[in-house]
This record gives sequence, C-alpha cells and structure tokens, in this order.
Amino acid sequence: MSLSTTTPIVDARDLTRIYPLGDSEVVGLNRVSLTIAPGELVVLKGNSGSGKSTLLSLLAGLDEPSAGTLTVAGYDLLNVSESEKNSYRREVVGMIFQAFNLLPTMTVMENVCLPALLAGKACAPTADRARELLDWLDMDTRRDHRPAQLSGGEMQRTAIARALINDPALILADEPTGNLDSRNGGRVIELLQELNRRWRRTVIIATHSNLADPCATHQVCLKDGAINDSTCAP
Amino acid sequence: MRPLIFFIRLFYWFSLRQIRQHPWRAVTVLVGVALGAAVFASVRIAVHASLDSFTRSMDLVTGRADHTITRPGGRVPEDLIAPLLQNPSVQAASPFLSTYTRTREGSRPFLLIGLDPILDRPLRDWQAREENDLDPNWVRLLSEPGTLIIGSDLARTEGWTAGRTLTLVHRQGAAAFTVLGQLTAEGLGLTENGRVAITDIATFQEFTGTHGGVDRIDLVLKTTHADRLSALQTVLPAGTYLQGPGEAKRGGRNMIRSYALNLSILSFAALFVGMFLVYSLVALNAASRRREVAILRSLGASSRVVFWLFMAEGAFYGLVGWLMALPLGIVLARFLLEGVSRTISSLFVRVNVAGMTLSPLEIFFSLGVTLGVAVLAAIQPAREAMGIAPKEVMAEGTAARGGGYRIRHLAVAGLLCVLSVVPLAGMPGYRSIPLPGYLATLLLFVGFALMAPWALQGAGRRFQPLLRRRAGLPAHLAAGYIQDSGSRTAVSVGALVTAVALFTALVIMVQSFRHTVEIWVHQTISGDLFVTTRMAEINRTWEPFPEGVEDYLKGLPDVALVPNRRFTLSYGGFPFQLEAMDFDTFDRYGAFFWLEGDGRRLTDPLDAGEGVIVSEVFANRTGLGVGDRFRTEVQGISLDWPILGIVRDYRTRGGVVFCSLDDLRQRSGGMAWGGVRIFFRERFMARGDAVVALQDDLRLRFGDRLEMLPGKDLRAAVLKIFDETFAITTVLLIIALVVAALGITTTLTVLVLERARELNTVYAVGGSLKQIRKMILWEAVFMVAVGEIGGLLCGFVLSYLLVFVINRQSFGWTFLYGVDWGALAFSLPLIVATALMAALPAMRVVYRSPPATLLRER
Repeated sequence: MSLSTTTPIVDARDLTRIYPLGDSEVVGLNRVSLTIAPGELVVLKGNSGSGKSTLLSLLAGLDEPSAGTLTVAGYDLLNVSESEKNSYRREVVGMIFQAFNLLPTMTVMENVCLPALLAGKACAPTADRARELLDWLDMDTRRDHRPAQLSGGEMQRTAIARALINDPALILADEPTGNLDSRNGGRVIELLQELNRRWRRTVIIATHSNLADPCATHQVCLKDGAINDSTCAP
Repeated sequence: MRPLIFFIRLFYWFSLRQIRQHPWRAVTVLVGVALGAAVFASVRIAVHASLDSFTRSMDLVTGRADHTITRPGGRVPEDLIAPLLQNPSVQAASPFLSTYTRTREGSRPFLLIGLDPILDRPLRDWQAREENDLDPNWVRLLSEPGTLIIGSDLARTEGWTAGRTLTLVHRQGAAAFTVLGQLTAEGLGLTENGRVAITDIATFQEFTGTHGGVDRIDLVLKTTHADRLSALQTVLPAGTYLQGPGEAKRGGRNMIRSYALNLSILSFAALFVGMFLVYSLVALNAASRRREVAILRSLGASSRVVFWLFMAEGAFYGLVGWLMALPLGIVLARFLLEGVSRTISSLFVRVNVAGMTLSPLEIFFSLGVTLGVAVLAAIQPAREAMGIAPKEVMAEGTAARGGGYRIRHLAVAGLLCVLSVVPLAGMPGYRSIPLPGYLATLLLFVGFALMAPWALQGAGRRFQPLLRRRAGLPAHLAAGYIQDSGSRTAVSVGALVTAVALFTALVIMVQSFRHTVEIWVHQTISGDLFVTTRMAEINRTWEPFPEGVEDYLKGLPDVALVPNRRFTLSYGGFPFQLEAMDFDTFDRYGAFFWLEGDGRRLTDPLDAGEGVIVSEVFANRTGLGVGDRFRTEVQGISLDWPILGIVRDYRTRGGVVFCSLDDLRQRSGGMAWGGVRIFFRERFMARGDAVVALQDDLRLRFGDRLEMLPGKDLRAAVLKIFDETFAITTVLLIIALVVAALGITTTLTVLVLERARELNTVYAVGGSLKQIRKMILWEAVFMVAVGEIGGLLCGFVLSYLLVFVINRQSFGWTFLYGVDWGALAFSLPLIVATALMAALPAMRVVYRSPPATLLRER
C-alpha cells in the first residue's frame, strides 16, 4: 500500500515477523508493504493481536523483521550495526508507550533529558530544551517530581516530552490513550496532532480507539498481521 | 570526559536511587561485604605486623654486615677474630651473641645482645641517650663489667632507668647488671621494638657461660669476588662457614610465609561468601528491573552502558563495603594481632610485635581484592542485563523470572568442577604453597554452588506431593516456588553451602588435628618432669646442662632418665631440630607416633647409631624418606645416617631428626646433656608429691640455672597453644556464617518484595496471613535444608583436602582423619536455626503495604 509518491520516511516491503512459540510459530506481521511520506499523521488501527504493536516495534528499531525490507529516514534497519541502531533509536524516532515507561527512579526532568544525554548532547542546552518542552506541555511545575507522584495524563505528557527531546523525524505512539481517561486521552491526541500540524513531525499512532481518527491524514488497518482496509470501515 | 560524566549521572539516577529506595537490602549486602573485607584486611595486617617485626629485627641485628661466619650446632671460636681482621679481604669483623633473658622477679623476656663496642661500630648503629662526652656509655660498657644499655621499650614498660640494678637469669644462674642508660631509637635500639639490651661481649660470656665462643662473626668485606670468598673460606677452621647475612631471615620468612598465606586464604573465605551476596543483589536487581533496562535500551542506551551500570553497582558495594570495613578491620586487627603473633612465636620464630602500621600498599591491596571480588560477582548479572532486548519494553506483564534455565547445564558444569578436584588434589604444591589444593578448594565451592539450582529444583519436585499431604498447602506452594525460582535462590543457597562446608571441614580438621595432637602429646611428650637449661626453649639454643647437673641427675634413685641434646640446624634453608636421645629408655616409658617403620624393631638399631628417624614434617619438607641418607654437620662433625623411619611430630614447622645420643657422644668424643625427661619408675609416685619434691630438690641445689616443667603441665601447655592457634580460625568461621545468614535474609526479603503482587493475589483469593508467612518459612526451610546438606557433602570433601593436601603441602604434617559427630550434631542445628531466623525479616515485610494498593499497581 502506498500513501505518497514523495520520498518516503518509511518504506516497508513484504515486512514479516514470525515469533517462535514452543514448537509452533505465531505470525505477528505477514508481508506488510507500506510507505509513509514525511509530515503524515498515520493511524494504525486494528484489534488486539492484529500486529499494530509488532509493526511499531519494527519501525522503532526495537525488534527485527523475519523477512522483507524496512527503510526509515534513510536507515536500512535490516542492515545497520548495533551502534547505528542505538543512534537511530536516540535520534530518529521518538516513542510513546501505552504504559508510559518512565524510569521510576528519575524525575520528570531527568526522564526527559535522558535520550539527549544518551546521544552525547551537552547538559545545559538539553536542560533548556527539556524545560521548553515541559512548559509547552503544562508540566513546568512537575519537573522535579518522580513518575509515582504524577497522574496518568502527566506521565504521558512527560513521555511525549521525552520522545521530542532529540527532535526526531518520526514519532511512534503505541496505544497512547490506552491507560488514560477520555479527557486526558483527548488531550494527548491533541498534542500529537499539534506536533504533526505545527511542527511538521511524522506521527504514527497505533490504537484501537477512534479518538485519533479525525486528525489522521491516513489510516492503515491491520488484521491478523496483514493490511486489511476493510476493517477500517466504521 | 562528557560520556564519563553522563555515565556517573546515569548511575546516580538509575542505580544509586534504586539502592536508596531499598536501603535495607543494600545495608545487608554492605554489612556482609564489610565483614568479609574487614576480616581479610585485619588478618593480613596482623600477619604482616608479625612478619615485618621479624624482618625488621633481623635487618637491624644484621646491620651493614655483608657476610657472616657461623658454626652449625655450635659456637664460632672467638680467637678467629684476630686473624680475620688481618685478612686483606676483610674490612671489618665483629663478634655477636644474643640470648633471651628476664629478671629473676619474672619480667617478660627480652633480647640481650653481647658485642664488642669498638669492633661493632662499623657494622651497626646504636647510641645511648644523654651521653657524657667525656665518659660515653659504650666506653663504660667496656670498662665496667656487669653493665648494660637498655632499649626504649624496656625503659617504658619495665620502668628501668640509669643506675638501676637488675638480676637477670640464664643457664649459669643469675647475675646482677647495672643499667647505664637508654638506647636511642635507631639501629639496634629498634630491635624487637626496643625490647632489647646491649652489653659487652665479656660480660655476656660471663653471664651465659660461653667463654671463648660467639654465636657468629659478622663481616664487612672489601670485595665479594667469588675467588676472594673461596680463599677466605679456606682459612676458616673446619665446621665454620661463610654465608650471606640473610640466611636466617630467609629461613624464618620461609617458615612464616605459608602460615601467613593460609590465614589470608582462610580470611578470604568470608569475602568469598560476601561475593555471593553481591551477586545475589545485583542479579535480583537486574532481574526485577528488566523492564526499566528495556526502557533504557529503547531510548537508545547501548547494551554496553547497561553492562557497566550493573558492574558499577557491584563496584559500589565493593567500595562502600570496603570503606565500612576500615574501622571494623582496625578493631579486628587489634584483636587478632596478639593471637597471630603468639602463634607465630609458638610455632615458627619469636616475634615481638609492639604495634601495627597500615601500609599504603596493604590498603590498596585490600581495596583491590574487595573491589575485584564485588566486580567479579557482578559480571554475570551484568551480562544478563546486557542481553535484555529493547523490545521487552513492549511486553505486558511483570518482570520475567530469570535464571530458571540452563539448570542441567549448570549442574553438569558443577559436577565437572567437583570431579576436577581429584586430579588437582594429587598435584604437588609449589614451595610450600599448595596452589593446586587451593584451586581444588575453589572449584569445589564453585561446583557445589553450580549444582545448587538443580538440587533445589529436585528437592522442590520430589517433596511437593509429600508436603501437600503432610504439611498442607503453604508447604506445597513453597516447594512449587522453590522449584521455579532458579538461580536467584540458588545463589544464597550457594553462599550457605560455602559457609556450612567451611564450618564442617574446619570442625573435622580441627578435631582430627586435636585428637592426633593429643595422642602424640601423651605418647611422645611422655615424662613426669622435663628439665632443660634456663631459657633454652625461648632461645632455641640447646646449651649443655651447667656443671654438676648431669652427674646429680644420674644419681637420683627411683627414676628413669631419657637425656637429650638438641641442636637447631638448617637443611636446604629450612631450620630443623636434631635431637640426640636415649631410644631404649624412652621406648620403655613412651612411644613415637609411627608413620613409617616398625617401632618395635627399630629401637636397637637406633640406639646403636645405625640410623635416624625423621618427623613427617622434615620428610615432606626435604623430600627424604625411609632408606635415604640424612647428612648434616654438628659442631664440625660430619654426620651421615640412613633414615629408618618416619614419625609424627607437631612441635616445630621445620621438623625434627632423632638420633642416638650415645652414638653422637662417641663421634664427638663427649656430648653433654642439654635436657632430660624424668620418669618415676613407680607410676603412683608420678601422681603424688614426688614430682614437686624433685623440683624443689633440684631448685635448691641448682638455683635458677634449670627450667623444670611437670609433664602434665607441658602437655596442657602444648594443647593450650593448639587451641589458641585455632581460636583465630573459629572467629573467621563465625563471621563467614554470619555473612551467609545475611545472604539468606537478603534473598528471602527481596523475593518476598518482588512477589508482592503474587502474594497479595493469594491473599485476595482467601489465603490467610499466617498461611502466607508459613509459605515463606517453608521456602526458607528448603533453602536451608539444601544448603546444609550440600554444605555437609562439600565440607567432607573439603576436610579431606585440608587434612591430606593443604596441610601436608603448607605445614608438612597430616593427622588422623576422624569426624567428631558430636560437635557436628551440636553445631549444625545451630546453623539451621540461625538461617531460619534470617527468614524473619522477610516474613515481616509481607503486607507492609495494603494488598489492594499492590494489586492495583502494575
């Protein structure tokens, strides 16, 4: 499936991921082909087990496909070294998780700064950028709090700030509203939309809810690990 | 620089804050490491203080001498000095004598040195304080007989000042000395930490009855060219030898070295057990923080960063544990110092340790070992953390339980380690250091630790159905959990195995040793009264009896005499004793503890001088055995005998050679007695007042010139020294057990905390608090039972290694292997109780938080 004719930021061909499970195998993703142009806001839709998170893991460089090709922002993810993959995760993609995945021993500020510091950036400008992001996300009063002291919405906004600290070209959000109430969920979707519209970030949201549907430039529907547009029908 | 600063920051954020959140876990591990490090450092400090004291005293006494002339088993003729001074190769020559003495009132013994104040000047530095330039003290030593200059320790501890008259005792009896002054803190004045006195050679010889002879002549040569040395040797009378001044020092250091190493390794055991603790906590952190590690990885942290984070955590425990160990180590060292120096003085060479110093090298060494052990312990958990894939960040559910895999592989590797002990045990040591034995010990511990997960799994599986029927559901659940717990619980069980094994092995070794020594003491150190010349034992120079003693003793009625004459000689650099004795009489009242040779048949040939018997230590040290020839030289007489038998003897590390006194008398043209053991022919007399009456009679007749010790007192003293020697071992052992108990506490507590959600689910579905605590107790029972049984098995193998490999290679002696089941049966339940007590903190933390909160948390 092709979403654009310009130079794509994501170019996947026959992407397949098979997990061994004891003596049998589970097909997580089955020959998925997909191109996404820069500046898109793509919503990956599908039920639980449809392959959304698997696709997102592959795009984030967290997992490796069993077959096919995958190029993201010029990185051929099947043929990069481990250290290149680390750089890719630090600088090219920003990841937002359903479970927030903040490090519990670190403060909001420290969590946000971490990817930049891992990328070898200087501390002072990183801190300035983190403050800027936290101000934008209305988190300026919570900078020194630990994750355990935050509400779900605050945790997710912290995760968004963390995902943006290195100015990544691609934002990946895996069920970002899954652990939030509707008000906070709506606020998170608004922020992702703002990222896409105002800051021209490419955003891919994997979700089974309909909250993100209105702001999507495209929707990709998955079923049993394969793209199946008919499942997107309301 | 920036990556390093970032790493430190990340370590603080990720690791230190985690440690701070669970302070008691960290404190438990730190206390364990600190105890281990303190024991290790303090033992080394104590041993090195003794070793340094010995070396320093030997160096101070040697002074600038580059060669020395000695006469094995006898004294160097004094008249040799004049021709030596005229020899063109000799720049300076000075006679030297020394002896330990004490006051008649019974002060602690001190070293008295006899020298020529004029000839000695080029060789040694010493000076008296408050010298009168017109009449210096060294001149007064020459001109005023019966004078001495004392060291600072004597002045301080005994309160002796210039002008004080002392009555000192020696083999010739007692003599009055006047204190001229005090030595300054330099050169000879520092010998034995100032517990020394200097007198003129003539006064010394008068006092000790050694006219015409000196212990040695120290030389400064103009050249040390080999030809000149050979030429100098040729002008020396037969039986006197030119040798380097460090011979005695080397001999003494050789004797102490393996003792020091053994004690260091024993002390390392506590640190080794501490290593399990570090492993345990780092591994548990790595396992319980899998998700956090995965988050780090997903944010772009390399696997190397993760590896070093956990390695740094191990290093942190090592460093902080070591810092905590410093004050503890100093206190322990003070406690150990006296015991260690007393043992060295009893078994090896006399040392007088006034204090201890903390050398920077020793401080860095203990830091290096502690850090090394902690970092080594963290390697495996760090490697496992390094392998956590970033994709785990997407996984749902709680942290995966690690370590349940590869259990069979680990068990096989463990079995191979244990089996490799067999060939290693058969390999020889290297220069009295049982390296293969130590390696075998390490492999034994590692082997049993690796088999622990398999044993736990097996125990859980085998007993689960039985426990369900007999002990109810909590025990059944505990068995199930233990089965699945994998390497986490196994690490603590491994620590317990190590500690119990050490305990078992040392109980067996000490009991076997004591039992053997008891037999030896009652057989070989038989006799109702032992008589030697005054100060003979402490000086280890076995002078003949003063005039008249031998004849008087021969005339005593109702007693049998076993006379002897001893010499301290050297064989291949190792000092040993040659004891000439009357085998026939000895055989009637006592017995050797034979290892090789038929004692009943050997008495006659031994008495006839047809051969000698050697102690096991001497045989192992020298490699000589039955049938080999033993050659030595005593007072210029060359001796050459075949070795007819080997006996057990535990009196000295250098070993003993027993020869016939009659034979030696004939070869030397007369050899006076140096000691005698007296047996009452009527045995009832030995138990009555006869011994006391005989002592009184000899004291009345010969005054202070003899030293007498009733046989039963001597035997009790030998066993007391033995018990004191092993008191240090017991302290080290108890600390190792405490560290192991801390391991159980940590593991159980962390396991409970980690399973809070699981335990609360049990609570939510109807389990009572009592049932859950019972379950935890049963888990502890499983761990302790497997640790105890594994430790016992490992301990028996280790005891064999200690008795027949390590002791033989380190000390040269072995003993009769015997298990004191009583001691084991008494002490092992105590360990079980201690280990189960360690489960209490874990049981207390259950439900510290409300179950609903925990169940709601992810």
